[in-house]
Amino acid sequence: MKTTDIFYVEDDSDYAFFMQSAVQEVKDSLNLTIVEDGMEALAKLKSFADSKTKPKLILLDLNLPGLSGLDLLKFIRDIPYLKTIPVILFSTSDNPDDVKASIEFGANAYLTKPDGYDNLLKCVHSVHDFWFSQHLRLN
Amino acid sequence: MNKFSVDLTNCDKEPIHIPGKVQSHGFLIAVEQSTYNISYISENALFFLKSAPEDLLEKSVSIINKFINPQAIEFDIEDLLKLGIVRKSFDAISPYPIKIGDKPFYLIISSSQNEWLLEFEPLTLQYDIQSLIGRAASAMLQGKTVTALLQGAALEVKKLINYDRIMIYKFLDGGHGEVVAEEKEPDLEPFFGLHYPASDIPQQARELYKLNLTRLIADVNKEDSPIITFKENQPLDLTNGSLRAVSPIHIQYLKNMGVHSSFSISLISQGELWGLIACHNYSPKFIDYKAREGSKLIGQILSSALEYRQDEENSEIVTQFKNTANILTAHLNRDKYLADALTDHDVNILDVTTATGAVLIFENEIRTIGAVPTNDEINELAEWLKSSSDESIFYTHRLSEIFSPAKRYKNIASGILACSLSKELNEMIIWFKPEQIATVNWAGNPDKETLKPTADGLLSLSPRKSFEIWSQVVNNTSQKWLPEEIASVLRIREIIISNVNKKANEIRLLNEKLQNAYEELDTFSYTISHDLRTPLTSIKTYAELILRNKSIDESAKKMLGRILTGADKMNFLIKEILNLARVGRSDIHFENVDMQSLLNEVIAEVSAAYKMDKAELVLGQLIDLKGDRTMLVQVFTNLITNGVKYSSKVDKPKIEISAYIDGDETIYRVKDNGMGIDNRYYNRVFELFKRMDNAKDIEGTGVGLAIVKRVMERHNGRVWFESELNIGSTFYLAFKNK
Repeated sequence: MKTTDIFYVEDDSDYAFFMQSAVQEVKDSLNLTIVEDGMEALAKLKSFADSKTKPKLILLDLNLPGLSGLDLLKFIRDIPYLKTIPVILFSTSDNPDDVKASIEFGANAYLTKPDGYDNLLKCVHSVHDFWFSQHLRLN
Repeated sequence: MNKFSVDLTNCDKEPIHIPGKVQSHGFLIAVEQSTYNISYISENALFFLKSAPEDLLEKSVSIINKFINPQAIEFDIEDLLKLGIVRKSFDAISPYPIKIGDKPFYLIISSSQNEWLLEFEPLTLQYDIQSLIGRAASAMLQGKTVTALLQGAALEVKKLINYDRIMIYKFLDGGHGEVVAEEKEPDLEPFFGLHYPASDIPQQARELYKLNLTRLIADVNKEDSPIITFKENQPLDLTNGSLRAVSPIHIQYLKNMGVHSSFSISLISQGELWGLIACHNYSPKFIDYKAREGSKLIGQILSSALEYRQDEENSEIVTQFKNTANILTAHLNRDKYLADALTDHDVNILDVTTATGAVLIFENEIRTIGAVPTNDEINELAEWLKSSSDESIFYTHRLSEIFSPAKRYKNIASGILACSLSKELNEMIIWFKPEQIATVNWAGNPDKETLKPTADGLLSLSPRKSFEIWSQVVNNTSQKWLPEEIASVLRIREIIISNVNKKANEIRLLNEKLQNAYEELDTFSYTISHDLRTPLTSIKTYAELILRNKSIDESAKKMLGRILTGADKMNFLIKEILNLARVGRSDIHFENVDMQSLLNEVIAEVSAAYKMDKAELVLGQLIDLKGDRTMLVQVFTNLITNGVKYSSKVDKPKIEISAYIDGDETIYRVKDNGMGIDNRYYNRVFELFKRMDNAKDIEGTGVGLAIVKRVMERHNGRVWFESELNIGSTFYLAFKNK
């Protein structure tokens, strides 16, 4: 099984599909793992910790049924093995309160979901460039 | 003997129960109760007994037995008195028929303080009057109304005693009397409807009328006979006697009227003197004791019938008022508006009393029914009532005497009954009664007559010398308000106030519901907008994804392009509604706002969104505001965006923003030289989704100005504009300086 490069929690299957398309279009080799709800995400995160395989980047939808993106973020930051992974909160909301809360909980970035595929593609490009290419260089 | 010297100034104090004299058609012997000795005797006993009265004083009462010829058995006065004592009353003994010489007499026994009064008067009636009285009473009671009853009583009494004139007086408020029924000989001048001043029957006389129900003055021209006694300073109380001599004032009064004999019967209702049956004869005419007793009985029957009939008539009024109250209650419950319910129907507030006019002052509106003063006069009256009375009910039957402006409309409103509905709002109902008695015919001037010096320099008594009818105009007085009317008004006030409270409660509840609905609507707008964005984003994204597919043809590409345009438009609209909903939903955070930086920010944003290469943006004097920064950004973004958009078609668009202080407000002015707004739509400009005809080809949602208005409302500020077509618009924002 290939290791996960990007772990994405998203309950909207449409958006998950767009993300899948966009990521593939940006870099075909990137391995994107998507889960649909908080509980599933928790299980996956535990398995990352257990198998000592960490994704390079985590994308969390803010509004999830059950456990929210912020809950997951808190969970990630509490597990020593996972806590260094960059986490981006990804939401339709542009409410300043949500942004503020995410940063306070230790998110590395807060992104408002881009409008339309073209914009999403641009966004994923930037994310990739910053968090993979540049990041890798920094490392 | 009493030494009281009476004249018109003190006749209301004359001790008329101890006149020291008797009328001389009969004679009096008073027997001391403790000794059975004769303690008082009238001088005219000499005439009847042919024996010197002073010789009888201080003798045992049995001394008179020898003067008397009993009709049947042996007469013993002492036995008769003892019988009365045992029975505790002489009612069954009096009248005791006797003979003195060969003349028939009645002995009538009554008690005084320490004495028994033995009165002897001639027996004149030759037939039994008993059956006549029974018939008289039943004939009288045929009368169904109070008026008919009184008229019947006058007629029956006339038949019984055969006097020239029988009048029934009714005592009115203030002690005045009115002739309410009359039976008379046809040639006599009628007195019906005349009023008599209270002074005609002084207070102490009224008290005697209540104790002794009949009063005969047998002959005004016959001299009284003095009572003699050895007792000093102990005048004999003749209250219960029938021979009691008459006050010289009253004798003079009767003489002036040409009356020779007078007889009166008291009418008592609820323990008070209701009136009198006053009987006059123009020649001397004695009335036999039994006929007097018969008349007394008629009077008593009339008294109780009056009480009953009056109660009946009153209760009819009360029933009517209660019906009115019920009907008005039904109207109030059914009708939407209180004023309509009270004034618009056949049964209305006028029926609450017997008034001839009524006005309802409610919610700054005057509704009138019947005869009422002008609206200006009503307003003036209402103001006066507010300032002069703290009571919920105020009434008078002489309004103009306490409120002089009311003289102007006394013919409509000499009497008012005002009932306050709300002190704060000065809401009330006023009922009006007209000046009721324009002219009162007085039998004699009610004002004290002047005492005229006589030839010998003494003041002579001259009451009612010429008995002419004084006609006096009684000004400014209406019929009095009845206790039943006041009760009725209080009842209706209770009903109205509870109805007003009920309606106020309903409005409060409605307001709460509206508030809730409004908040729900905001939440709804917010939620629906938010939820709509996600699928909309999906639509747009799928369309873009498909567009990337190289294999689709041109027409499919075009269609996908249309989908994208539609989705963008919809997305923009949803964002705007979200913004509007947010203004209503979010808490307002007041802070000091640096307007220079805020406007720079807004202008930067607007510039990024619209092509502004040719537009000139001028910032004038700016004044920092206290407000919610986020909301203010929305306001200025919308106004500046509008300015830019609607002036995009002119050659040199110019948008000016400046502020100035006006009184306690800071005013911001956003001015453009664009296409302007048609003033016909002035009131609709701020309505949601409202777009002007001339702005059709300029993009917009119709939400912007609704947001501006809402933000200004939440800041307790105002927004308005001035505009001229094709010249430009200026929007003004007024913020309170706190």
